[in-house]
Amino acid sequence: MAKLVGAFAASHGPLIARNWEGIGPERLASVTKTFAELGRRFKECRADVLIMVSPDHWVNFFINNLPAVCIGVGESHGGSPEAWLKLPFNEFPGHPGLASHLAETALKNDFDPSLSHHIQLDHGFLIPLWKMGVESLPPIVPIIVNIIEPPLPSFKRCFAWGELIRRAIESYPEDIRVAILATGGLSHSIGEPDMGRLDEAYDLECFEHFKSSDVPTLMNFLDSRTEAAGNGAAEVRNWVIAHSTANCKGFDVIGYHPYKEWYIGCGFASWAVPS
Amino acid sequence: MRDYWLSKLFFDMQTPANAAEYAADREKVLSRYPIKPDVLKSLKADDVAALAPKVNPYLLRFYFFATGKSETWFLEHIRALAPNKEASHG
Repeated sequence: MAKLVGAFAASHGPLIARNWEGIGPERLASVTKTFAELGRRFKECRADVLIMVSPDHWVNFFINNLPAVCIGVGESHGGSPEAWLKLPFNEFPGHPGLASHLAETALKNDFDPSLSHHIQLDHGFLIPLWKMGVESLPPIVPIIVNIIEPPLPSFKRCFAWGELIRRAIESYPEDIRVAILATGGLSHSIGEPDMGRLDEAYDLECFEHFKSSDVPTLMNFLDSRTEAAGNGAAEVRNWVIAHSTANCKGFDVIGYHPYKEWYIGCGFASWAVPS
Repeated sequence: MRDYWLSKLFFDMQTPANAAEYAADREKVLSRYPIKPDVLKSLKADDVAALAPKVNPYLLRFYFFATGKSETWFLEHIRALAPNKEASHG
């Protein structure tokens, strides 16, 4: 049977790519170290497949067709069409076996995801992968969660998605090692009147709640505080998915970099997954 | 409430060829989008306050980026709406 061997979360702001050196040498060294540690932990788990949970930034979907959740079930997925993001990746192998099993498990359990046989992996997926410095990526099962255009899936539903992903991994008959990487957040605001504002108090409190296994308190906190932390803070939903996939255990902050030059309270974390 | 055709125009600006065509002949591109007259007027005036409630904030920001407005210009205009933040959520 397949098993979960790693769970991670990482911010993905475009300015990490477009303004990488704009934060000054000291902070650049600090965030580089964080990405390296994230990459080291990912390599250490020796994943055969990586499930990635990220928002779509108007690359795959538009308001004429806007699923709450979409699973990439194809044999491959495309690189970013975002003209400003120059990366050496163009095509990524998928894992149709695990992805289809996840989709079937979802439908059998009254979840209704959309499916795509070829997802364009935008900066939300690619910036963390790029900066983690992983030379050889395993096949990817991308999951897009609508976190850009309201109404958004509830935190409660995202938590349930994480549990479902864990069950799907554990019931997949092939003997493979699976990791999950959630991207997005923490506090930030894009295209709104408070654009550029960070909410460090929110970010730090998120960390404390993820460290605790008190799920109702985490849900209450996120429900009551996230909107005020900026429209981009909604992406913490993806962290919730990784949190519940990892059974809410062993949350560890790898680094926190609230850099106004990048408009984002950048957070990076992993969960302890039993080997 | 989102304005579909305004949103579609902004969405299409993500394709560099479309943005280039828009820069070269804005009227020609706009003729392909049945945007309501009052919205069109706001668009031509770069009226951020009027446009903000009608499109997703990420698309709003991208449109002005794609049409050559500086980040400083955009921040100045969007931040001026701070007292009306609720309206910007559409």
